[in-house]
Amino acid sequence: MTATHSSRSVLGAHASRIERAGSTLAFDDSRHLQAHRWLVDEAWLLDAQDYTAWLETLTDDIHYLMPVRVTTALGAGFDTSPGMAHFDENKYSLSRRVARFLTEHAWTEDPPSRLRHHLSNVRTFATTDAEHLVVESATLLFRNRGDVHPGSLVSAGREDLLRNTADGWKLARRTILVDESVMRMQNLAIFL
Amino acid sequence: MTRDITEGAPDAMTDLAGTFTDVRRGMIPAHIYNDRELFEREKKEIFGRSWIFVAHESEVATPGDYVVRRVLRDSFIITRDEQGDIRAHFNMCLHRGMQVCRAEIGNASHFRCPYHGWSYRNDGRLVGLPFHQDAYGGEAGFQRKGQRLLPAPSLDSYNGMIFISLDPDAPPLAEYLGDFAFYLDYYTKQSPSGIDLRGPQRWRIKANWKIGAENFAGDMYHTPQTHTSVVEIGLFREPKAEKRKDGATYWAGNGGGTTYKLPPGDFDERTRYVGYPQEMVERMKKTLTEAQQRVIGEDGFMISAATVFPNLSFVHNWPRVADSDDVLPFISVRQWQPISENETEVLSWFAVDAEAPEEFKALSYKAYLMCFGSTGMFEQDDVENWVSLTNTAAGAMARRLRLNSRMGILADGTEVTPALSAEQFHGPGTAHTGYSEYNQRELLTRWADHLDRPATPAEPLEVGTLASGGQAQV
Ligand code: FES
Ligand SMILES: [Fe+2]
Repeated sequence: MTATHSSRSVLGAHASRIERAGSTLAFDDSRHLQAHRWLVDEAWLLDAQDYTAWLETLTDDIHYLMPVRVTTALGAGFDTSPGMAHFDENKYSLSRRVARFLTEHAWTEDPPSRLRHHLSNVRTFATTDAEHLVVESATLLFRNRGDVHPGSLVSAGREDLLRNTADGWKLARRTILVDESVMRMQNLAIFL
Repeated sequence: MTRDITEGAPDAMTDLAGTFTDVRRGMIPAHIYNDRELFEREKKEIFGRSWIFVAHESEVATPGDYVVRRVLRDSFIITRDEQGDIRAHFNMCLHRGMQVCRAEIGNASHFRCPYHGWSYRNDGRLVGLPFHQDAYGGEAGFQRKGQRLLPAPSLDSYNGMIFISLDPDAPPLAEYLGDFAFYLDYYTKQSPSGIDLRGPQRWRIKANWKIGAENFAGDMYHTPQTHTSVVEIGLFREPKAEKRKDGATYWAGNGGGTTYKLPPGDFDERTRYVGYPQEMVERMKKTLTEAQQRVIGEDGFMISAATVFPNLSFVHNWPRVADSDDVLPFISVRQWQPISENETEVLSWFAVDAEAPEEFKALSYKAYLMCFGSTGMFEQDDVENWVSLTNTAAGAMARRLRLNSRMGILADGTEVTPALSAEQFHGPGTAHTGYSEYNQRELLTRWADHLDRPATPAEPLEVGTLASGGQAQV
């Protein structure tokens, strides 16, 4: 289960440890509908690169983790690089990344990329706490820069912990399991 | 594979002698950053005989640990065998050539080939050959005894950094590194235990491999421009334009790098200034030589980026990782692994002193993630430039353009800023303060020298035949 990645990560000590309980919620369960809507709205923010608004949707104790995947023999018992990740972020480091995009000198996104986060396979789980939901989803990001270069793709599965706050649902923990060991994107100046 | 307009012209005949002459005088034919013909030569003349970094001993810490690493297209299994010795074997089965180990990392006492089941111990020895008697008539037909996966033609290490060379007659690694080893120690020997290397993050960029190598070797000039944004957000306090040019670049042996000038102080104060706790400073004083300490303590220069020819780079920086005035140093080791003339796989590791306090290790890792690697905020802007440069170098106009890489010297060769004296800079090699492209020229001159001096073709290696006496090379 991906929640264990967060607990094993180098910088995830502050993260909530709430985990899923039971099997998936029905697709007409209002909690599933709320979680799904949250993800679709988030995908829109990420496509639009409205990162200021996106930061507002994260709790202060957010743990945003994207391990480095490695190819291991069947039965090796691990498939992520020990002690290494692409992202292992808290609110402060995410806020620095966002602040950088807001300067006029983040050249990697000037001109900006065209982004499309495709979202599917949404499964919602209740947790032991009524104010938290665990949501799994698949994401496929298409990113294209300039005119002559072909676009690049990142495919990943995600496990999110959503928390119901006075301001609505917020993301408290995300684990991104990317489907490549060698990324085919020039940098990860994007969020998944 | 389809070609698109970002790839170099396939058939343009390069005037090699003219190209090398231009490169040696610091006028760089722009197409060398996207030229298929030159890349074919680079494969043979540079990557076919240079020492190429493959792993650090800490990545294979216990017997049976292995990682699989490449030198261009050649896959090698780097293992620690049951005796504790480090081995590197070509990852190709001696029978029909199947890739023996298809994982990237793990622990195994044996590798069994999936095709017909030959098996090899982690020291490379062939120990299992199904139906040896029935199929080959035993030893008379195929000499199993003494057979092992092809060892890397040359294997050597320095401070636990394992290098291999495809040249069986490669000079010892220490000789190859030369005086650069003095600087390599700053990155890899902060205590008697050396470093722990973690990672790598790997990703591919549509950029020529030489650009990153040159940038890390000596490009202090790009910092104020390319990395404006990270200064603006308060991540980094150093790379202001007026600060960077006070640093020194140095070239020594087969590598060179950049430094920052630190505020006044002694070794302890200056090392603490970049964020090392006193207990780490004490250990450094035990492992670094007097001259190595004087470069920091007396001369006031702290190492930053560096490159060893051809494609191994280092970086040491000290950003803020939290909302406070404290900075935290980190070290990254990275390799620019060429895929083609216009594509590079970056392997970026995080390195930290094995004896550092756990809290330091965690924060240093955070500093690394924020600055370098696949998500690093410095790296993001660097790569954007390199991709764009490579793309622009593909066409006919780039064949005409000679890029001026003569920063730091006048037309007659006089230095804009004279080299630092032995009293101003206690490290070996030649050092200059101010913006310059000495190191980029050093690197590309080595590049030209290699391409200009064809390597002797390697002998074929036969296995299992009586004529070969088992195996030509053990
Ligand atoms: S190819 Fe490996 S056993 Fe036949
Ligand atoms: Fe840079």
